[in-house]
Amino acid sequence: MAEEAAAPGITTEKVIHTYPLIRHSDMSEEMRVEAVELSVTACEKFSHNNELAARMVKETMDKKFGPAFHVVVGESYGFEITYECTTICYLYFGGNQAICIWKCS
Amino acid sequence: MAPKKQKEVTAKSRGNLVEDDNLDWLKPRTLVKPDDQEDVPEADLEEEVGRILTTINPQWVADRVAYHYGQGKFVVTPRPTFGKAYPLFIYQGTAIRKDSDEAKAQIAAGYGMVGFDDAGPKRAKVKKSTAEEEEEEEPEPEPGGAEEARPDEDMAGEEERPEGDEPEPVAEDAAAETAPTEGEPAAGDEEEGKEEDEKGPEEGAFMDEVIDIKPRIKKLANQFNFCERAALTYNYPRRSVDTQTVPPPRANFGATALQCIIFDFYQEDYTRKMKEKEEERPKRLRKKKAKHVKTEQQIHDEKLAQRIREAWAILERLVNQNIYDDIAQDYRYWDDPSDEFREGMGSLLPLWKFQFEPMRCHAVCDVQWNPHYQDLFAVAYGSLDFTNQQKIGCLCLYSIKNPAYPEYSVITESPVICLDVYTDIPYLICVGLYDGNVCVYNAQLTLESSYQYKSDSVRDKHCNIVWEIRWGPRLIDGEPSFFSISGDGRVVQWAVMPGELQATTIITLTSNVPPIPGPDGTMLTVNSCGSCICFHPDKPEIFMVGTEDGMIHTCSLKYNRNYVRSVQGHHMPVYRIHYNCYNNSIYASCSGDWRVKIWEDGRDEPLFMFELGSPVGDVKWAPYSSTVFAACTADGKVYVFDLNVDKYRPICVQAVVSKKTKKLTRVDFNVKLPVIVCGDTKGTCHVLKLSPNLRVMCKPPKKAQGIDQRTLQILKLDKLLSLVRDPPFETGVVDEKFEDD
Repeated sequence: MAEEAAAPGITTEKVIHTYPLIRHSDMSEEMRVEAVELSVTACEKFSHNNELAARMVKETMDKKFGPAFHVVVGESYGFEITYECTTICYLYFGGNQAICIWKCS
Repeated sequence: MAPKKQKEVTAKSRGNLVEDDNLDWLKPRTLVKPDDQEDVPEADLEEEVGRILTTINPQWVADRVAYHYGQGKFVVTPRPTFGKAYPLFIYQGTAIRKDSDEAKAQIAAGYGMVGFDDAGPKRAKVKKSTAEEEEEEEPEPEPGGAEEARPDEDMAGEEERPEGDEPEPVAEDAAAETAPTEGEPAAGDEEEGKEEDEKGPEEGAFMDEVIDIKPRIKKLANQFNFCERAALTYNYPRRSVDTQTVPPPRANFGATALQCIIFDFYQEDYTRKMKEKEEERPKRLRKKKAKHVKTEQQIHDEKLAQRIREAWAILERLVNQNIYDDIAQDYRYWDDPSDEFREGMGSLLPLWKFQFEPMRCHAVCDVQWNPHYQDLFAVAYGSLDFTNQQKIGCLCLYSIKNPAYPEYSVITESPVICLDVYTDIPYLICVGLYDGNVCVYNAQLTLESSYQYKSDSVRDKHCNIVWEIRWGPRLIDGEPSFFSISGDGRVVQWAVMPGELQATTIITLTSNVPPIPGPDGTMLTVNSCGSCICFHPDKPEIFMVGTEDGMIHTCSLKYNRNYVRSVQGHHMPVYRIHYNCYNNSIYASCSGDWRVKIWEDGRDEPLFMFELGSPVGDVKWAPYSSTVFAACTADGKVYVFDLNVDKYRPICVQAVVSKKTKKLTRVDFNVKLPVIVCGDTKGTCHVLKLSPNLRVMCKPPKKAQGIDQRTLQILKLDKLLSLVRDPPFETGVVDEKFEDD
């Protein structure tokens, strides 16, 4: 945020990034693409309700890849989780949202 | 007995009714009637006639008397206790009553307990009853005690048989009905005989019924002692087997999502993407150089190696200069003093020989001085021995400062047949290969780099040897372009686009040969094989093409079907066409038919013709004089002509290489210095210095001292040409003159 505030002073580039950006993921390519697309869809659909977005992602992921997915959608949070390997995807979307999807049953 | 029969009849009628109902659907029943049957109205038939059966036998004589002879009077015969039945046949059945002593004994013994269902014992009784029926006739009385309980059970048995699964209540009703009759058994007995007479038909029906029943009686439990048997198969004992798998691997991950972190990461990714985008463009340009990523250490090493290499190169030059000091002195300053004494004759002074060790067996297929650096020349190493072709070729740049080793050398995949150095960018060299490909090399790139552009081997390369290649004017968009002529008869223009070569076929050289019939009726047109190409110095769209059948075609870029002009110039492949440097209409050609011809545009006959006694590999006009040209021949000689000095004979003939082992292939004049370079078939380039007599300049006439050398040269050539042209030019004149000489 601080940098964003500083940015207008520079006026060189005030670019708002909205594309999904994967911060950390060990999913398979197919699963990751699915997860990212799903996150984008959910966050765009429920842009004002992170809970519903998370629920949608979780339920769809459960359907597609088996149960016990966990999804966190939010703008500012910290987490420390245990996940089953090859099932985590931590991505940013819309420039201000962080979405963490993982599976642990 | 009577009550039983009575019941039986009712039961039977009932049963029949049921049966009729059941069988109606099976098949239409046609009743067979005797002819004399009385017609009875339907209503009468339907009417139910009640019939009361009693135990009183109407035929029974109550008090029968017989005459007693002893007493001499009629005596009432004692009434048999039994009915009026006479047993005819007695068969002891195997059935026994359930509550008889014998049965009890058997049951007590544990026998027959399993199979004794309701039907079994009752049927047994039925049979017995029929048997007893017959026995009824028997005079001897039977113990009635056993029979007393019979009616009840008989009823039930009889009821069940015809009606199958008729419910129990019927049996009970029957039992109830029989109860009152039991009260007067004696009367029944008395009247049995009568009853039987009366109900003859009835009796017949009853007998039928009995016969029907009999097969069922076979099912007696005692005869066929059915019992249920069960077999138990082996049961495998149950076991529990457990395995435990390794739980799926898990890992921990933790992070903090904050706006600042997200923003930073987006910025980072964005800059990375921008950088990639920037890098993409250069990568596309030199995508051939795949290894692009170099660490700093590598870059440092390379820089160091480059500096060391430069240092060594200088050192090598120093050493070479010391070794070849005398040659270097000669090259610059020595002029053959004997020229002063022999008018009109000159000589060539051999200077250095350039050899590249890996290319010893290759022939110098083309050699060209660099237009920008006067001491640098490019050599194309290929092979002219077409039966024993070399696998590889080489493009080398030699500097006369270092005769020991080429400044630049790059091995090619196929022998190099021709090359051309781009005048605008003197480090760009296009080469034509034996396999039909054309490449562009950038001599500025490091030595390990390969070609910068190469034609696509599949799409657009030539199908034959590329014989000559020439840079052309830039295209409208500013891209350089070059032209190549190949043995497949095509002249192709190659546009050097960023990252690729774009081919355009300018003209396909047609041949005079009529089309040859192909294998399946097609006609194959034969292209004539192009062997050299030469562009007009002033008109960029006009170019001349020499073919292997000796034709010289003048073509235009604007016409891709027809030739502007066509001359049968030679009888053997034309090896070189070269325009005069001062007069645009004069050009020289040389050929494998041993001849060098000097032509003027628009004339079908050559102005001059010289026969050199051996295939002429190359002919070049001197850049410094309008009348001087040099030619090299396969017998290892270099000929220098100065038409101004001698129109019929060369002013210098010098054997440069031994004609037994080597042939001279190409020759080229240095633009600025009075040296020529010629290549031979053993990979050696000879640099020769022209003696003063071979490079005499024009002296301006005293009247006009200010005229520059170029104008003088042009004037000189024009004067010479006017000498040749002015007399009405007749065909064969030149030939005759030449022959005379």
